[in-house]
Amino acid sequence: MKPARIALTALLAAALAACGTVNTTSTRNRPADTAVDAKTRVNDLLQQIFLTAKEVRMSRTKGGPYEVQVDVENNGFEYRSFAYRFDWVDAAGNVLASQTSVWKSTNVPAGGATVIRAVAPTDDAADFRLQIRRADT
Amino acid sequence: MRITATIASFAVLALASAGCERARYVETGSPEGIISVGDVDFQDILKASSGMLESLAETGVLKTAKQKPAQLIIGEIVNDTSSRFDVGELTYRMREQLVNSGQAAVVTTFGTSPEDKQAQEVLRREKFLKGETSEPLPDPDFSLTGKITQVKRTAGNTKQATYTFRLTLTNLRSGLEAWTKTVDMTKLGNKNAVGF
Repeated sequence: MKPARIALTALLAAALAACGTVNTTSTRNRPADTAVDAKTRVNDLLQQIFLTAKEVRMSRTKGGPYEVQVDVENNGFEYRSFAYRFDWVDAAGNVLASQTSVWKSTNVPAGGATVIRAVAPTDDAADFRLQIRRADT
Repeated sequence: MRITATIASFAVLALASAGCERARYVETGSPEGIISVGDVDFQDILKASSGMLESLAETGVLKTAKQKPAQLIIGEIVNDTSSRFDVGELTYRMREQLVNSGQAAVVTTFGTSPEDKQAQEVLRREKFLKGETSEPLPDPDFSLTGKITQVKRTAGNTKQATYTFRLTLTNLRSGLEAWTKTVDMTKLGNKNAVGF
């Protein structure tokens, strides 16, 4: 019975680790110096389970405006497509109208991670808001 | 008998309405929009202009201009793809952000084929009438040129197209390239589809 269960588990694991799954190696074992706290309001539980914003970093670019980088991990067993949009706000919390705030689509393989990034349109931007929506497939 | 007929008519109605999608408004550039394998879509143009603007802001190249804000000429941007669209869709979005935020001023009265010929005429006349005491003619810092290219491949029924948007900013005082950026978009599939 036991070998049968082990074989079944191995078979299941092999089936779940479908084509396109990636293994990721990194030397990072603690948050970056530029890492900032972020709060996520979850409206799509499935998305939250499979696509996780692992770390959020924010720093000034050479040109002056802020740059934000978000590490997004796919903890699921399928290739995931998603779209994201960064909106920038000024110190008073008002959204800055910008041609850079557009929806961008990307994808991340199972077990993999990707970095989504954005640069603020002007030096006046003080903070950002990120929206992520996953594809149904 | 009547109940059976009603159920049947509802079923027919449901089947008939399942196949059609009513026209509706979607946010411009939204991922819900149509994705074309063999063409540049509007969301691709928005993504390209966003990538270019982010790179310009990130490098701070416009802040290095002699004049504040930097004076910019929009040069030729060639659409070298089989997809027909106006490159102004790309440049006007960039101009809107750069000009309205005070990062750059676009010179529309420069050269032998100015964008605004009437404004150039008025400027020349003013210059002539007022002589040397007049305001100097525009003295641009940078010119923006570029090209949009494509690489298409097929494998069986599957098509793949990569569209590359590349822009270059040339420093008109030194003649050297001051900034350059490429934004790629690759699409794969065998037919166009509605996004998600």
